[in-house]
Parts: sequence; C-alpha cells; structure tokens
Amino acid sequence: MKRLLVDAEKCSGCRFCEMVCSFHHKKKFSPSLSRVTVIKEDKYGLDYPVFCHQCDPCPSIAACPTGALTRTELGIVTVDEEACTGCGACVEACVFDAVKLDESSKPLICDLCGGEPVCAERCPTKALIFAESEEAVSRPEEAFGELLRRWGIDA
Amino acid sequence: MPSLYGYAGKVLRIDLTEKKTRVAELDRRLATSFLGGRGFNSKRLYDELEPGIDPLGPENKLMFATGPLVGTMLPTACRFNVSAKSPLTGILGDSNAGGHFAPELKFAGYDQVILEGRSREPIYVFIDDGDVEFRDASHLSERDIYETDETIKADLDDRRVQTAVVGPAAENGVRYAGIYANLMRAAARTGMGAVMASKGVKALAVRGTGSIEVADPRKFERLVEEIEAEIYGHEQYWPRRRMGTTRILMMANAAGFLPTRHYTSGVFEHAKEVSGERLAEEYNVKTRGCFACTIPCSRFYVVKHGEFAGLFGEGPEYEALGSFTARVGNSDLNVALKANDMCNRLGLDALTTAECISWAMELYEKDLLGRSEADGLDLSWGSREAILTLIEKIARREGFGDILADGSKAAAEKLGRGMELTMQVKGLDIIMADPRGLKGFGLGYAVASRGGDHLRSEPFIELSDDPARGEELFGVPEATLRLAYKGKGKLVSYFEDWCAVIDALEPCKNIMENMEILPFDRAAEVIEAVTGLRMPASEVRCVGERIVNIERAFNVREGIRRRDDTLPRRFREETLPEGPSKGTIFEQEPMLDEYYAERGWDPKTGIPTRETLERLGLGYVASELMERGIRPI
Repeated sequence: MKRLLVDAEKCSGCRFCEMVCSFHHKKKFSPSLSRVTVIKEDKYGLDYPVFCHQCDPCPSIAACPTGALTRTELGIVTVDEEACTGCGACVEACVFDAVKLDESSKPLICDLCGGEPVCAERCPTKALIFAESEEAVSRPEEAFGELLRRWGIDA
Repeated sequence: MPSLYGYAGKVLRIDLTEKKTRVAELDRRLATSFLGGRGFNSKRLYDELEPGIDPLGPENKLMFATGPLVGTMLPTACRFNVSAKSPLTGILGDSNAGGHFAPELKFAGYDQVILEGRSREPIYVFIDDGDVEFRDASHLSERDIYETDETIKADLDDRRVQTAVVGPAAENGVRYAGIYANLMRAAARTGMGAVMASKGVKALAVRGTGSIEVADPRKFERLVEEIEAEIYGHEQYWPRRRMGTTRILMMANAAGFLPTRHYTSGVFEHAKEVSGERLAEEYNVKTRGCFACTIPCSRFYVVKHGEFAGLFGEGPEYEALGSFTARVGNSDLNVALKANDMCNRLGLDALTTAECISWAMELYEKDLLGRSEADGLDLSWGSREAILTLIEKIARREGFGDILADGSKAAAEKLGRGMELTMQVKGLDIIMADPRGLKGFGLGYAVASRGGDHLRSEPFIELSDDPARGEELFGVPEATLRLAYKGKGKLVSYFEDWCAVIDALEPCKNIMENMEILPFDRAAEVIEAVTGLRMPASEVRCVGERIVNIERAFNVREGIRRRDDTLPRRFREETLPEGPSKGTIFEQEPMLDEYYAERGWDPKTGIPTRETLERLGLGYVASELMERGIRPI
C-alpha cells in the first residue's frame, strides 16, 4: 500500500499542506480543520507534518465506542459521522497525536483524499510524498533528534 | 460570516492604560479604499494621531495589520505591517515581517490590532480567539527574544501560540529596536519595538482557531495554481531557495554598488568570502519558509568551525549580511553571523545598528573620533571587537553605545560632528545598495515615506539594464537603465504604488513584486476571487497611490518638505572610486522634479496638491492640511 511519507530535512515548515488540506475537505482555510498539522521548533529549524499513518492495528479504531471508525478496502481509516458521538476517544488513543476534532466535534483523520493526497501533490519542497514504503514511521521527536545529530547541534 | 470574504472581519482596539478592549466590525469602505495591512495602518495613523506627539509617549498608537490574502493558500501571503509614529525619525514609522504571526491573527478573528495608551506594569497581551488577557511580564524583563518566546509558550502551555516580541534593546529605549515574530522574522525598521516597549508591552501572543473563506473558491484555486506554476518555473526560483536575498551580495559587488567601508567604495575585495554562495556551500543545512510559502528562501545555518562553532540560526538576509561585512569592512563571515544573531536576540535593527557602527568607524579612521571617546575600542575598519562589543553596548545603552542608541543622526547631534557623514534620509539609515550605481533606488530612498529605505519602491527592474522594459512600461527606455536619470520619476512612482498594494494585501514583496508575479491586473483578479470586491487594475493601482499620498500627508503634517527628500552629501558630490559604477554621482534634483510631477505634488514644497488628494478620495486630508495652514505653494 502507498503511504504518506515525510522527509523532515526537506520540510520548510510552510504549512501549505495545512491550507491545502482544509480547503480540499472543507472549502475553508484553517489549521484547526486540517488533517495534517506541522510541528515546528523555530530555534532549531525543525519542522514535521503530523497526520494519520493508517496504522494497522489502529488504536483509535479500537478505542471508538460506537464503531464509527472503520477501515476501507484500500486500508484507509474513515469516519462514519452519523455513528460518531464526538466523544474524542480516538483523539486520546492515537499514538501519533494525529487526530483532532472539527467544529462539530467530529474527528479529522487523514483519508488520503481517497487515494491521491493533495498535500503530497502540492508540497512545495516534496517533503511529503505518497509512495510505497516498508520503513517504520518515525515520530517527530525521533526525526528531530536525527537531524540535530546530523547537523552537529547539541540541543 | 464577515461581510467581505478573505478578511477576518474585525478590528481589535486595546486600551493598555485602562486594560480594556473594544472590537469593531471591519469598515467596508476602509477595505475598499485601503485593502489592508500597511494601508489600514497608515490611514488610521493619519486620522488618529495628532502631529507633534512624542513617539514614546502614551498618545502614540501601535498598529498591527494584515491583509485579505493572509490565512489562505495564496503563496507567500503571511505578512503583517506594524506602524506608529517612529521614535527614530519622528515621521511615519512602519515595518513588515513574515512568518506565522499574521495568519494566526486572522484565524483569531482580526485584520488589525491597535495598541493605545500605556500599561503601568510590564505585561504581555494574549489574544486567544475572542478573549484578550493582560498577563504579567515582570519575569520577562530584559529577556532576549528567544527566551521571551520560549517562556511565553511554556506559560501558556501551547507551542502553537505565535508571538511578536521585543528584546532588551527595546526595553532600554533604543530607537531602532524592532519587533520579532518566529524568533527571526524581524519587523526591524523605524523602531516599532521601542514604541511597543514604551507602552509596557513585552509581547503579543496569539492563538486562533477560526477559518478564512474566499468569495470564489474555484476561481481562487485556479489563480493559486497559475501562481504556483509561475513561481516554480521562474528563473529566480532556485537561486532564491538556495540563497534567499543573500544572492544579491555578489551581484551588487559585480555591478560596483555594494556599500563598502561606509560607502567609500562600491566594491568589496572580500565579497566572495562573505557571499550567499559561500553560506550555501559551507553553512546551510536546511531551507525554511514562512507560512504558505511555495518558494521558501530562509536558510538554517550551522557554524561548524572556529571560535563561533556551534552557532546556529536562520538567515541572515542580504541587508544584515552586507551590513556586517562590506559596510563595516569585515571579511570574517563568522563574525557577521554572530553579529546578526546578537541583533536578533537583543531585538535590534541590523541595518541601523551597522550604520551606526560603520559611521563611527569612518569618524575614527578620519581622526574625527578618538579611542577614548569610544570606550577605548579600536574602531578600525572590520574590527571584530568593535562590532560585537558595540552591538551589546547599544542594546544596553552603555557608554559609547548610548551615543549610538538613538540612530546615526542623533549620534552626530550628540557628538557635535560627523552629521554629513551619516548615511540616512529623514533619520532612517539607508540600505545596502549605493544609489550612485542605482539611480531609481536612490530616488526611492529620497522620497520613501519611512525615510531612507528601499522597500517602499525597490525597482529591481533597474538591475536588468534592459531599455525594452522601460519603453514597454513607461515609454522611456532609460527608465530601466540603472545609471540613467530619465524616466526615474515614473519608475519610482509606479513601483511605490505596487509596493503599497503588496504591503496592503500582505504576500511577500520579494516574490510578488521583484519576481513580478502579482502585477496590478492579476492582483485585481486575486482580490475579487478572495474578497468579492470588484475593482479594475487601474483602481488597484489607485489604492497604492492613495496609501503613498496619505503617508506623505502624515509626514507633511510633521514638517517634511521637498528639502528633506535628499540623499547624504557623499552621494551627490563624491564619485565612486572604482568598479563598474566608477565616476558617477547621484544627481537628484531633476529626478525629484519628474517624480513630483508624476505624483501630482507641488514641485517647490513636495506637498500633495488638493487636486491630487481629491482625485484619490482624500479631499478631507486636503481640507485638514489647509486648516493647519499647510498649503502646497
């Protein structure tokens, strides 16, 4: 399965992905409505987009009390907004902090735009790419630690 | 839903004396006539400030404004202007910065924030969507920009809070202290940080969770795609990503207008050692960008060797890099990086700081300033100790630093010598391009509404030396030849109007104007798609003209006349001694005549005529000036 992958050294932290995402899904511009959130540490020049990695098994699916979260045939985590009560258990359960709730308390989870994620398509530095990979997903702090070591910065 | 799309729709007024706030709907007429950003601030400063007030007194107002494009995916739309009466120049003060502060302000619901009065105790203001909190800042006193940002984020337990912060220099009343967003995005010029500190405010912290909608999503998306493609295909795309504005240093040196040793030459023999190219090859480890930027041009660098090994940060940009190398005669890139880092942390405008140091160095080299007067410092060209020590002393107002802390013009007054060697216009120290080698730029410095600065017009097209462009745009081939004089009035007024529009809409001027991505006709399309306001390209330019004119009126009311639109004597009388711009001076008067004619300002006084003001819908300004006895002729 193709996945969204991050090259942290290429991410400029511009958050164009946040704008593209919220506009694509909601026709509004808002980081709060984006399914991708860029974590930034200006002092160290670090940036990392956080989003759902479609983990399998997915702790958020397991935590959902009403079965509103399921996985499609393509393996994409989806939300049944009718069944969702807005309890936020999925937000708590996600190990990547990749889930947040929208203005009506429904979870915002990356749906890979149905198979062609616009954030990767439009990422100005190609820090986000959509490709096959078996590599383990790294957490932002791991990626940051690796970059600081590479640059010789003692943080 | 706001009455206009694109805008956040609200203006926040904060009374610091009474600790009260007031929220007003954005006035639709203000939006149509001034668009946003710098336009909003300049209009309100004219309307709300009495002439003659003390810039560091409670009656001054500090205004932050952003534009209708900010908080969308319009590439590079992320900026804000911060404006007040300037404590450095005594005229209109205004500075602009990028980063992520302005979009956060929009998401919090505001197009403009106005700080009024003065808090008796040190505070920072937390704007949390609809809530405004006045928070104690006594623990932040004398904290540098980095420490302040970090402490506020920890206090609020939110790393997504965006801050605009002042440093120790501002708290000590240095008249060219700036305001910093995202640590290194500096609204540095004209001392807006000093104004903020004078109001008892250490920082604005903003968190916004709202959203921005555009009037015509489909058309907007098409325009964004067009603009993206044009940026990616532009010849400047890779040089900018690799070097940002530092790419200019070698270009300026090659053309012989790189200000060297305080403008005694336009060629620096060590240019290559301190170039953007060298930074890119040996220091830069990562590209960083402002909000929604598709051509990220900021560079994160790490110093790997030498005394400053372990120093890291973003930048520097060309102005700071050139200022702390060629301008002060320093060939050590590491010292320049350290100097820039110190200015960022202390909250000082690198340009004015470097001019003050460079000016003192010239006096010293000419035996007009003794070592004992300068705290025993050796002020020879390039003296590492002098550069780094003076930055610290200026920020703390210690010893000779106190003399320099009010700007070069005030320093010359205090010392009673060296005034004609100060490289400033109207009290604002001029930038890193020698006007003898770039006549249009020079005219821009002479007339700019915030003093000797390029960002009011920067007619980069002059660098092309391509007469076809001058013919096409102005019907004057010489207009785009850098050493020619003819047509420069047309060139500068055109680019001033364009820059004012960009500063009102608040995308990045480097991209939208220098790279010519957002000319007036496309700006009209973008404005309509974003806000729903329909205005022809000619009216968009009129907005720019209106902004320039109301700023001129503000300055005229403070006493500015044609006699003040002048460059330092050196440029007018001494030729450049070497390089491709050798032998030229700057002949300003014929260009000024042409400029005033183009502007519709009285050629004798430089005051806008009633006819001009009325044509721009500023009849009330003409009447007000008249009531004050200020007449064009």
